[in-house]
Amino acid sequence: MVLIGVFVYGFIGNTVWTSMTDWGGSGSLALDPEKHFIGLDNYVDLFTGFLSGGFRQDLVNAVYYSLMLLGGAVGLGMFIAILLDRKPWGEGFLRTVFLYPMSLSFIVSGTIWRWLLAPQGGVNVLPTYAGLKPLHFDWLSSTGAVLVFNWQHLFSVLLYVAAFFMILLGLWGMRHDPRKAIRRWLVPGIVVGAATWLFGGLLPDALFMEEEHGFNLATLGIIIATIWQYSGYTMALYLAGFNGISQDLRDAAMLDGAGEVGYYRHVAIPMLKPITISAVIILSHISLKMFDLIFAMTGPDNAETGHPALTMYLTTFRANDFARGAAIAVVLFLVAATFIIPYLVSQYKQRRRG
Amino acid sequence: MADVELRQVVKRFGKVEVVPGIDLKIRDEEFIVLVGPSGCGKSTVLRMVAGLEGITSGEILIGGRVVNQVSPKDRNVAMVFQNYALYPHMTVRENMGFSLKMRGESREDIATHVAEAARILELTPYLDRKPSELSGGQRQRVAMGRAIVRSPDVFLFDEPLSNLDAQLRTQMRMELRKMHLRLKTTTIYVTHDQIEAMTLADRIVILKGGDIQQVGTPIEVFEKPANAFVARFIGNPPMNILEGVFRICDGKRFVEVGKSVFPVPDGRGAVLADGAPVLAGIRPDSIKMGDSIEKLPREWWCRGEVVVSEVLGGQSHLEIVIDGENELIAEVEGRVVAHPGEIVPIGFEFDRMALFDPETTLAVD
Repeated sequence: MVLIGVFVYGFIGNTVWTSMTDWGGSGSLALDPEKHFIGLDNYVDLFTGFLSGGFRQDLVNAVYYSLMLLGGAVGLGMFIAILLDRKPWGEGFLRTVFLYPMSLSFIVSGTIWRWLLAPQGGVNVLPTYAGLKPLHFDWLSSTGAVLVFNWQHLFSVLLYVAAFFMILLGLWGMRHDPRKAIRRWLVPGIVVGAATWLFGGLLPDALFMEEEHGFNLATLGIIIATIWQYSGYTMALYLAGFNGISQDLRDAAMLDGAGEVGYYRHVAIPMLKPITISAVIILSHISLKMFDLIFAMTGPDNAETGHPALTMYLTTFRANDFARGAAIAVVLFLVAATFIIPYLVSQYKQRRRG
Repeated sequence: MADVELRQVVKRFGKVEVVPGIDLKIRDEEFIVLVGPSGCGKSTVLRMVAGLEGITSGEILIGGRVVNQVSPKDRNVAMVFQNYALYPHMTVRENMGFSLKMRGESREDIATHVAEAARILELTPYLDRKPSELSGGQRQRVAMGRAIVRSPDVFLFDEPLSNLDAQLRTQMRMELRKMHLRLKTTTIYVTHDQIEAMTLADRIVILKGGDIQQVGTPIEVFEKPANAFVARFIGNPPMNILEGVFRICDGKRFVEVGKSVFPVPDGRGAVLADGAPVLAGIRPDSIKMGDSIEKLPREWWCRGEVVVSEVLGGQSHLEIVIDGENELIAEVEGRVVAHPGEIVPIGFEFDRMALFDPETTLAVD
């Protein structure tokens, strides 16, 4: 307990403290460096500072990266698990094959994928084996970006996204309880969306100048590599879950006329909701911490594929700007907490009820 | 509503023959119970009718239609499983309505059918609960509700009461019987419990090693068991079976078991010759004590020593020894007081005695 107190919570506290000082620049490596308390200046600078655009792009990257990794790894893992759940010939062997990427270090898989995604080799030359022209997509060094938005309009963009999800939730809930769905999600969603569209101009600008961020295509390669590495893991989670469902339940679903698709859609996958939730939590915190894979695939200095964790390392240990590095770390910590705390709360509530 | 017919149905798992080929006709509206010791293939037969298990050869007909190649969902059968197999993430309402939803029926129709089934089974207050919030008996009812909402042609029950405690089991047995009287749906019910078989069935099918030993009404299989296996399996306490020799002496026919002599009434054992080895089967309840022996002929009386007595209230189970060597289990009225070590007069209903061939164990008429 004491050790955990010191080495986990003590150090978190120390990081938070450091992030509120001006420890950095020349003399920061002195035996007894000068530190002054400067409050939240580091955070303000990270989110609005003229020179911190790189960090903001990193955050945007991390969001896209997390979303695509979640969708990809959970979807692909579930799909493979369903295929293996049908007990094909050689199931045990295939399971090992799919799980194997997990056992590789990120540095190793990063190097492999860097070769595979090289501009004149690997994946790009695959079509030539079928007599087609080689691809010319720069998987890791493309400078293109899609879904670009202006950081200045951050607030309205966030509101649009929120409205979109509320409407989506409302439409989905219509099937169960239309009245509640309309009252709770659909109407507020439409109101928020419309209000943002009408009065969005009144929202304060998040930044004093125009600054565009989007989904950098160069991160696609990294996302593919991570999905490759982690879908085996989600597959193992789901496969264990599917195997835990009793044969009787499957038989009952068959007799109830569910068919194979219906069985997975209405019975097996809803039953494995706890597994889905833990997969999402584990993957999202992995995606926030992602460091070595990016380091190995595109190097530390590729701004296009930057990631908060990587920037944190560079700021702290290369630029010796310890205070800013600590501030990035705290931001990451808070983002991770927003994923995990709702989960813990719901778990706690469930236990109280059950 | 449909009849079910099995024609030379064979099931092999790899090289293991589980069901070596059975023929069975189940009439419309009949309540059939498949009973046998564990591993006798009764559940396999049920699963083959449901379509959950393929058949190696032979034919299964439901309502006159060969269903060998018909998938489970298109056979219009409903099954209740031993562990209920309720969907844990759905409420009782959703569990019961699931099959109708899969059939694509309208929301209103589903609601009506579920409400009706819930009313019959007294589940209305629990419709919005999850299975984990219900007691064993309630879950059992939900499983039955899930079966009846679809109004299937055939109900299949796979040991549905074996997870309940004794009292609830008796109660649910009654309810099952009532439900069948009301719905009249053809039912195939699998159990290893011969009391369930006796109380529920229109006809009982006794299975052993995948083979049908006997098909008959509860009274038929009890009074006229087709072989020694059925005789031992049906009835509790089991039938006393003693090895003896058939004798004909001065026109009187009897079975000699050691020093004991059991007279054989006329018309029984006609095919047996003097000196033929035979198994004599005596039901515990055909052994009488106290006042009720007065109705029996004098030559069916003897004396026996009580070894152990188990008082159950309504009746007592006694272990008695006759002629100093033959142990018998007797089931007598609870009013009869018998203490261990006492020598008491006992009477046998020899007209109910069963005779079996020791080689084939088949019943001898």
